[in-house]
Amino acid sequence: MHTPLRIDPSKALGDIATFQRKLAAGMGNLRSMREPEYANTPRKLVYSEDKLKVWHFEGHSRPTAKTPLLIVYALVNTVWMTDLQADRSMVRNLLEQGEDVYLIDWGYPDGADRWLTLDDYINGYLDRCVDAVRQRHDLDAINLLGICQGGAFSLCYTALHADKVKNLITMVTPVDFHTSDNMLSHWCRSMDVDLFVDTMGNIPAGLMNYVYLTLKPVRLNQQKYIGMVDILDNPAELENFLRMERWIFDSPDQAGEAFRQFIKDFYQGNKLVKGTLEIGGKPVDLGMVTQPVLNIFAEQDHLVPPDASRAMGKHVGTTDYTQLAFKGGHIGIYVSGRAQREVPPAIHQWLRARD
Amino acid sequence: MPGLVRFENDDFVQQAFARMQGTLYEDAPMADPTNDFIRDYQALAQQSWDAWTRQLQQQQAQPAGNPFFTPPTTPASGNDTLERTLAGLKGYFDWMQGAAAGGAAAQPTDWRQQMQQLFGGASQPFTQAFSGIDSTGAEGFARQWQSWMQAAQRSGFGDLPGTQGPTPAFGLNREQQMQQQAMSAAVLASLQASARYQALIQRANTQGMERLQGKLAQHAEPGRQIDSLKALYDLWVDAAEEAYAEIALSDEFREAYGEMVNTQMHVRQLQQQQTEQMCQQLGVPTRSEVSSLGERLQALRREFRASRTPAPEDHADEIMAMRRELAALKRQLASAAPAAAARTAKPVAPAKTRASAAAKVANKVPAAAPRKSAIASKPRNSPSKRK
Repeated sequence: MHTPLRIDPSKALGDIATFQRKLAAGMGNLRSMREPEYANTPRKLVYSEDKLKVWHFEGHSRPTAKTPLLIVYALVNTVWMTDLQADRSMVRNLLEQGEDVYLIDWGYPDGADRWLTLDDYINGYLDRCVDAVRQRHDLDAINLLGICQGGAFSLCYTALHADKVKNLITMVTPVDFHTSDNMLSHWCRSMDVDLFVDTMGNIPAGLMNYVYLTLKPVRLNQQKYIGMVDILDNPAELENFLRMERWIFDSPDQAGEAFRQFIKDFYQGNKLVKGTLEIGGKPVDLGMVTQPVLNIFAEQDHLVPPDASRAMGKHVGTTDYTQLAFKGGHIGIYVSGRAQREVPPAIHQWLRARD
Repeated sequence: MPGLVRFENDDFVQQAFARMQGTLYEDAPMADPTNDFIRDYQALAQQSWDAWTRQLQQQQAQPAGNPFFTPPTTPASGNDTLERTLAGLKGYFDWMQGAAAGGAAAQPTDWRQQMQQLFGGASQPFTQAFSGIDSTGAEGFARQWQSWMQAAQRSGFGDLPGTQGPTPAFGLNREQQMQQQAMSAAVLASLQASARYQALIQRANTQGMERLQGKLAQHAEPGRQIDSLKALYDLWVDAAEEAYAEIALSDEFREAYGEMVNTQMHVRQLQQQQTEQMCQQLGVPTRSEVSSLGERLQALRREFRASRTPAPEDHADEIMAMRRELAALKRQLASAAPAAAARTAKPVAPAKTRASAAAKVANKVPAAAPRKSAIASKPRNSPSKRK
């Protein structure tokens, strides 16, 4: 009978000593380290309204794509996940592929934004951003790339403003919110969202982050930081780690009314796939999405389970639907080495074929 | 940073390490050196954690967001995330030390007994793995409750009645008394809901340990054995997360979670009402008033924009209806085409290609673009599947 534990005591003590050494070295590295910067790919402000900004990115050469691509990010977390660091930037890679890239930065809502609704975001802000890009290029329709909640917004927008969207790309976008493995949705369902929003007003970013951490509490609160000790003596890796920490925790509050609607209609009501969703009093029929659609999702996504995204194929009206399953997680799909090699080229090839 | 200076003294580390190797590899009892080693090492560890705590507290002066409650009076050193992080690292380190000195070094006949030694008792980080999530909300809540009671007493509300159930109130302060009773009842309900939630979290912790036993049993064969504390810890994390996920996706958890959030919000709402009453008496604008102004302003902004929208908006519904009809016709045509083709063409075996090791691509209908090796086509879903 063998024992599953075969831990050499001297090796164990060596591991402890290594752990301590790395901690000591890490302190010095941390002390000398500044707040890590994002990639900051050169960009120009082309439109702004309230706290929202539309950025136009500038590549090394002129874009080869005829139709510009507008990235619509989620309201949770900041848009800079798409341009995190020089060698892990989806924006930069899309530029290198020849795309003409715009990005909506929603900003940080405060009390003045408490009453912004999904109608204000989708038929208001997003529509005016699309118009701004269309006007700059004198085009009837442009390409949209929606990410996560921004993907759901983009789907709704395309259904409601079909003539302004040429091609639609969605990344890690939930469509069916009631798949059995959707933990966030599961937790939301017994919440009294009206009481929650009436009480909280805007939803604090810290609370949102806390909920995300509790999806995998041991991994995200403990194991991650134990793993961090291994890279404390490596300034480059430590900087990457801290940059990601900055992105995770430097996140905006959620405008109360938009949050209320999103939870009630999407998470609780699952109205997007039931066909009962209304934005600004107008029905959102995914059957109206007849543009070519590229749906990219992550196979190890704990925030948006793959099945929640896959469902899109059954509901959109297009005859040109492509889906791409990426081996990675919700964040890895933007920042992993594999993502840099695979995702932007796949997006570009798909778009080029439809430009 | 004196602790750091001593810690960085490599001789000290070397000596401590040499002593601990001596205790392991030499047969001599060496009771005193062992004690010395433990004492030295514990001192070393303590210095390290103290230094780390100081370092990180300096770097992160801003308190992290508290989950569902921000205490009315923010503690000066309040940084829950930092504390949890440090507690996690410290717990892991303590456990490694304990395991190396005791359980892991032994050669037991029963590995389950050895596991009990390694994970039992107050061993860290296992007992505190979920403590961050099961107690943070409750602690915040308890702190807030305490602060609120103190504030209420200072404001002349006296002791909070109603904790034993509502009692009739009358006289000049009737409304305040009724409010306080409602508050007490709400706090009790919230504490009970938090207790139910915490019980589920503790169940996840227990089941995580049971799952770990099962996982370890699969590593008994030579060549598959766990040979480092880190590997053992990682295996436990897998087990704990699996157990947690199973419970977190249960209906029982969903109800407990909802109840916890709802009851906490109810308490908070009652607090806000009382605060607003006090503000009104002092002539201070309230949050409700500001919020109402914001709502009206946003409604005005919408009306203003709508009034500037050009006339075609009048036909928007008609155009939308026509588009919907057109989309339905397109779908009908698209579904009719494959059927017609199937009647006239020989059946062809569906191409089953794999995109790459990393990505799989599936098309409803091949795009106009030349097909690439990374793209596999599949028939478009029938519209009849929708809704």
